[in-house]
Amino acid sequence: MKTPISYFLILSAVLFAIGTAGVLVRKSALVIFMSVELQLNAVNLSLIAFGRMHGDLQGQVLAFFSMVVAAAEVVVGLAIIVAMYHRRRSANVDDANLLKW
Amino acid sequence: MVSQVNLPPPSSFAPGVMGLMWLVPALPLAGAAINLFFGRRTGRRSGVIATLAVGLSFVVALVLLFGLLGHSSNDRTFVQHLWSWVPVGALQVGIDLRVDPLSIVMMLVVTGVGALIHLYSIGYMEGDPREARFFGELNLFVAFMLLLVMADNFLLLYLGWEGVGLCSYLLIGHYFERPSAAAAAKKAFIVTRVGDAAMLVGIALIFVTFGSLNFGQTIGATNPAGKSLPVFTAIALLLLAGAVGKSAQIPLQVWLADAMEGPTPVSALIHAATMVTAGVYLVVRTHVFFEVSGTALTVVLVIGVLTALYGATSALGQDDIKRVLAYSTMSQIGYMFFAAGLKAYSIAIFLLVVHAFYKALLFMGAGSIMHALHDETDLKKMGGLRKAMPITFATFVVGWLCIAGIPPLSGFFAKDEILAVADHTGRVFAWSVALLAAFFSALYLSRIVFLAFFGPLRHDTDPHESPKVMTVPMVVLAVLAVFGGVLGLTELNGVLPKFLEPVTGPVPEATGGLSTPVLIAISIVVALVGIGVGWLIWGSGRIDWVALRSRFRRTHATLEHGWWFDSVYGAVLVAPGKAGAAFAAYVVDRRWVDGFGNLVAKGFGVSSNLLRHLGNGMVRRYALFFLVGVVGVLWYLAARA
Repeated sequence: MKTPISYFLILSAVLFAIGTAGVLVRKSALVIFMSVELQLNAVNLSLIAFGRMHGDLQGQVLAFFSMVVAAAEVVVGLAIIVAMYHRRRSANVDDANLLKW
Repeated sequence: MVSQVNLPPPSSFAPGVMGLMWLVPALPLAGAAINLFFGRRTGRRSGVIATLAVGLSFVVALVLLFGLLGHSSNDRTFVQHLWSWVPVGALQVGIDLRVDPLSIVMMLVVTGVGALIHLYSIGYMEGDPREARFFGELNLFVAFMLLLVMADNFLLLYLGWEGVGLCSYLLIGHYFERPSAAAAAKKAFIVTRVGDAAMLVGIALIFVTFGSLNFGQTIGATNPAGKSLPVFTAIALLLLAGAVGKSAQIPLQVWLADAMEGPTPVSALIHAATMVTAGVYLVVRTHVFFEVSGTALTVVLVIGVLTALYGATSALGQDDIKRVLAYSTMSQIGYMFFAAGLKAYSIAIFLLVVHAFYKALLFMGAGSIMHALHDETDLKKMGGLRKAMPITFATFVVGWLCIAGIPPLSGFFAKDEILAVADHTGRVFAWSVALLAAFFSALYLSRIVFLAFFGPLRHDTDPHESPKVMTVPMVVLAVLAVFGGVLGLTELNGVLPKFLEPVTGPVPEATGGLSTPVLIAISIVVALVGIGVGWLIWGSGRIDWVALRSRFRRTHATLEHGWWFDSVYGAVLVAPGKAGAAFAAYVVDRRWVDGFGNLVAKGFGVSSNLLRHLGNGMVRRYALFFLVGVVGVLWYLAARA
């Protein structure tokens, strides 16, 4: 018997919610970054689940694209975090608040 | 009772020499273009170019006259369609020129007298820094004036009408460095605009009533049976408003005396000989409307008589020689309106023609005096110029006797025929008022002559006669003024009345009143008494006129200020107008309109001041807003689905 699609979607939603909460509540840029990755993977999970449901490979292909883009984004994002740490000796996003009002 | 109007169907094309008619306005227009666009290069030659342009135009007009005389008297209307101007549905207006007995007379006066005044201006304007501009505008004026008198439809006439108004404004303000000249130019423009606005409404009403603006289909086809009388009265009165404004008649006469701020040749050409008589032309051209209405014709008569008396009396109180002549012009045009009101249209045009001769002459004389006395216009400072300026004196005397009404000069015949018609048609009261005006006319001009040319010189310069280029036109005009009376002798059988009859209809038949010799005798006596009284006060030296003036101080002030029309208009119209403008500017605009705008701006300022604190630089807060937004949008989409 196949696992029902709803299981995958609920797991995906839970992971996405955890990721979102992490983005919103954590101060460390690195952790926020990891939370974003969690959100992306939650989405990947639901993509693959839908692909499986339809019995074709489109969902998996899209998930691969998503992972490639995420990898590229990690490069840029980590570079920004490293540069920020170099200047301020801190990776706390609340310290980077000059651009306001 | 409508007098016989034989407007024959105009020839659809203008054959032979009549095809040249477009040249008449085109030549001065070309002159204007040369002098206005290439003024820096024409320089001193601008006057010659302008004079040649108008002179050639006069020659063409003469050719047209002979062409016209070659046709029988009932076949003298020619229309030349140049091109279509306003083709909008039922409104088909073309640039159509018309030559008929009335317009050819006006064309000859405008170009003939105009050319002489241009010639005179070459001498008068010598050394003026804006000479080319002056002559360019003068030529432009002549072109527009010709368009006005040659137009075959009301819209083209209106184009010329506004064009001459514009040139009048520009030329009055020629010395625009002087605030008084700039103000006079504005006043002339605005006051005439009052009448012009009414006239435009009248033209619109003509189109609504007749479905056309062509003379042939409106004036020529007036059929009172099918249309209501009040419409004709309305059309006539609205057109009359325009005529009254342009011709400086009561109640829109206040601009003309101030218009004397312009150069003297301008006063001679525009404010004596041509433009101010455009109102008379309009009334004569559209007299059918006035006659059908009847009421409107009476209004013309009353306005004419009143202005004749008003101008003649006000002229007595002026010390500025040009202002005397300006009031004199009002008075004389009043006589023309009077004649038109009596249905004696051909005599109105007769007076218009000879008045153009002698009034242009008088203004030239005044200009010549100013030339000799370093632009002095105050009569009190003149005197004794008779010996120093013999030609100016002699020609001025001709003008003087013309206005005073001494036979056999032209002014006598024109004025006397009007008075005779008035008496013969039973308008005895109007006749006596006009006679009183004639007395004052003789008086005010005698005053100029005795103060300026006789007695001791009261000016500290050495006066000299003007150059030939100025005196020759004066002599030519003087000759015309002396012999011009032949044109209209007698009112029934004269050359001019007979020539104009197809357009204007015959002069009304005498139905009673005094016999002609008696009337002539009365006129001559009145003129002689006027001159005699003038001599007694200002010429004989037996009366101290300065003391006389201070004794009748209030009368003198009333006359000097033109019966206080300016003060009354100032209090009744200008002051409330200024108050209204101030209210609109400082209360309505500044407080209400600007206030509303400022209120809106302030609202945005306050609200954005509150909202900007949302952008506090906290990245996580932004992420929260983002989440809330996305959830909101998804929720909305889900709820809609």
